[in-house]
Amino acid sequence: MRKRFHGLKRIKLRQSWNKYNLFNFSRVEPSPKNTERTFFQQKWTAKALTRAYHGETVREKQWTRTFRRTIRSVVPMDYKMLAEKDGSEQAEGRGSGLEPPPDQKTKPFPRTPYLNMTYAPMERRLDTAIFRALFASSTRQARQFVVHGYVRVNGQKMIYPGYQLNPGDMFQVEPDRVLYATGAPKDKFERRAGRKIRAKYSKKASTSEAPDETEPRTPKSDPSPESISTDKTPKGTLQSLLGQAKELLATPSTSLTAKRKQDLRAFQRTVKRTLGSPKAMTATSLDSQLAEIVARMNVAPQTRPASPSSSTTEVPELSTPELQAEAATLDSTQLRTLRDALKDARENPVDPSKPYATPWRPREWMSAFAFVPRYLEVHPRVCAAVYLRHPVARPGLAEVPTPYGTETNTLAHNWYLRRR
Amino acid sequence: MFRWLNGPGAVFRHPLPGSTNYLNAYDRDGRLIRAIDRSLGKKEQKMEEDEDEIDEDEEVDEDGEIIPKIKQKSKKPRIKETKDEPPLPKENAEDLVPFPMNRQFRSQHVLSEELKDAIYEMVMVDGKSVRNVSATLGVEMNRVGAVVRLKAVEKEWEKKGNPIAFSYAKAILGMLPSTPYVPNDPITHESINDLPVHRATQIQIFHPVSESRHFTRRDAGKVFDRELKPAEDRVPHTELVQLQKWRHEGKLPKERIQLQREKDAKDAQSKKVLERMRKEKAAREIKKVETERSEFRFQDIRIESVRLTGRNKEGVGARYGIPPQDRKKGQVKIPTSVG
Repeated sequence: MRKRFHGLKRIKLRQSWNKYNLFNFSRVEPSPKNTERTFFQQKWTAKALTRAYHGETVREKQWTRTFRRTIRSVVPMDYKMLAEKDGSEQAEGRGSGLEPPPDQKTKPFPRTPYLNMTYAPMERRLDTAIFRALFASSTRQARQFVVHGYVRVNGQKMIYPGYQLNPGDMFQVEPDRVLYATGAPKDKFERRAGRKIRAKYSKKASTSEAPDETEPRTPKSDPSPESISTDKTPKGTLQSLLGQAKELLATPSTSLTAKRKQDLRAFQRTVKRTLGSPKAMTATSLDSQLAEIVARMNVAPQTRPASPSSSTTEVPELSTPELQAEAATLDSTQLRTLRDALKDARENPVDPSKPYATPWRPREWMSAFAFVPRYLEVHPRVCAAVYLRHPVARPGLAEVPTPYGTETNTLAHNWYLRRR
Repeated sequence: MFRWLNGPGAVFRHPLPGSTNYLNAYDRDGRLIRAIDRSLGKKEQKMEEDEDEIDEDEEVDEDGEIIPKIKQKSKKPRIKETKDEPPLPKENAEDLVPFPMNRQFRSQHVLSEELKDAIYEMVMVDGKSVRNVSATLGVEMNRVGAVVRLKAVEKEWEKKGNPIAFSYAKAILGMLPSTPYVPNDPITHESINDLPVHRATQIQIFHPVSESRHFTRRDAGKVFDRELKPAEDRVPHTELVQLQKWRHEGKLPKERIQLQREKDAKDAQSKKVLERMRKEKAAREIKKVETERSEFRFQDIRIESVRLTGRNKEGVGARYGIPPQDRKKGQVKIPTSVG
């Protein structure tokens, strides 16, 4: 890796979400001063600037071989026009169609920015596509994910970052890696908590020599809430959730808002109350337990404003009278906060063993770079995306995400036409 | 640099709730341009401009500069409520430009989760065809297929109990512009009838024809290339064109549906015939000889099938006689296709 990837003196824009890069994006000049420079010099600069952004890991010789002068484009067609006219109206009059009256003149058709598509073949690369699908914070990181074997294409492991995606290829990145790449980093205390957990597990592993007594829990295969729920009783899971909430409140992270703290405290209270009533522990798993609580919460707000007779009809639906009494003590806003907190805690748990700050939140400076081009269909829930088709140019719009304007791209395209 | 990051650039540190947060939406001092405009009292004007932004085909003038579109049909109020501030107007085309130097690239809308769910339901539960769903929701056909595939992966993960990245998905969708799902009046997500520009039509031809001749699109295509079909046969949704033609001819809706059914049946029939012919041809080419021990199959081969390098996979002896070159210098080992 070069010494200054995000240089501040000679500005090179990069495919990354770095804050230095954002600063460079904000101040870069719209067009380099091309007066008093030869055509060769202009092309050289344009090539250097654009190549620093598009596939700087790709060697120049490799790129010149991949470059294609042909550019894909489409024209959106109106099916009504196609059905009603056969095209002969364009040859009417003196041969180029009738002149419309001045008040009915249509707007000029926007030009297709063909030359902004110079680097379209680069967008086919697997590492670039991963970055474009917002699964990595830079193309270099995406490349690393591929090389380290966290990426699968059509269900098979793919270790070549230069793999040229074909239309219809589905690529998946390990969700934990994606969360690490796009999530906020841990602060000092969270890192320390993680170290402690790792030390604990390593000590356990060294002391208990019997291999098949307990499942080998390395810090990497972390105790996620699902794994807890399988081997503990529901009461245990609820207690662990409560513990997590406590821990979260105890961490001195500044990102915790007052609202969230309130939510968590409300959540803590309700969990305590539920644990207090022993008969409520009939559910077999965490999910059914949570569903029961949520169902109770759904019942309560309806009964509260309504007449008391309706609340008496709801009694058999709840498992025990204690639960009914319990639900009656909470008001609707409390119940809502409890439901939100429960949902949030289940989906986004506190877990010091993860390599990113938990509960997960997006990293800083990310939103200015977040866009998904149309040639990809991304499904962030499973960290998978489909490469639908090759990027195309259409009137007024080019699909290749390039930070440079038409002028720079034209010069770069001219450079690769080989006649200098 | 840090003066900028802590000053005007501080707005980019965290996402703007309920909106995109791109460089072009702010001025040099880090103020949100559309918020300033509103405070200057241009509210009503601005609202009209912003109204029809969700559609794909925004107006762009000849040099690619975006012209704010005039309101076409009234949709739901697109004002976003924030907690303690007055509502922020919806972002316009200028605000969706992530690279200030490149106006020809815009962050385009993505499918919202509800729309994805609706697509999956329509295809997998209601059993509608991809073509039909694409036309009703205004989503490209290959995108419909991809959504169904990805949703199926999600369902499988749910069944297996794999952790699903809900918080990540929510955060990402919050930063991107997305097309909502309106069940009765679906919003067009993208243009579905994109005509790919054919290589043969990228040249200029001077082709004189007599004035009396009725020179149509079909004739013009033939001038470019003998095989080139007219646009109505090359767009993805040819059936929409046909339906519109019938409507133009004054056919009643019942008749149109009947005609459409007949056409579908005919297409299916012709597909079957083609498949049968292909199979028959294959059977004719392979001569089978039954013996006591086994069945011999004889097939004519063409020596040219090995192609220029003599190593084509279609050629004779591809699996037996050709030595592998994978240890040679300069051989690219990256697969060209997977799965």
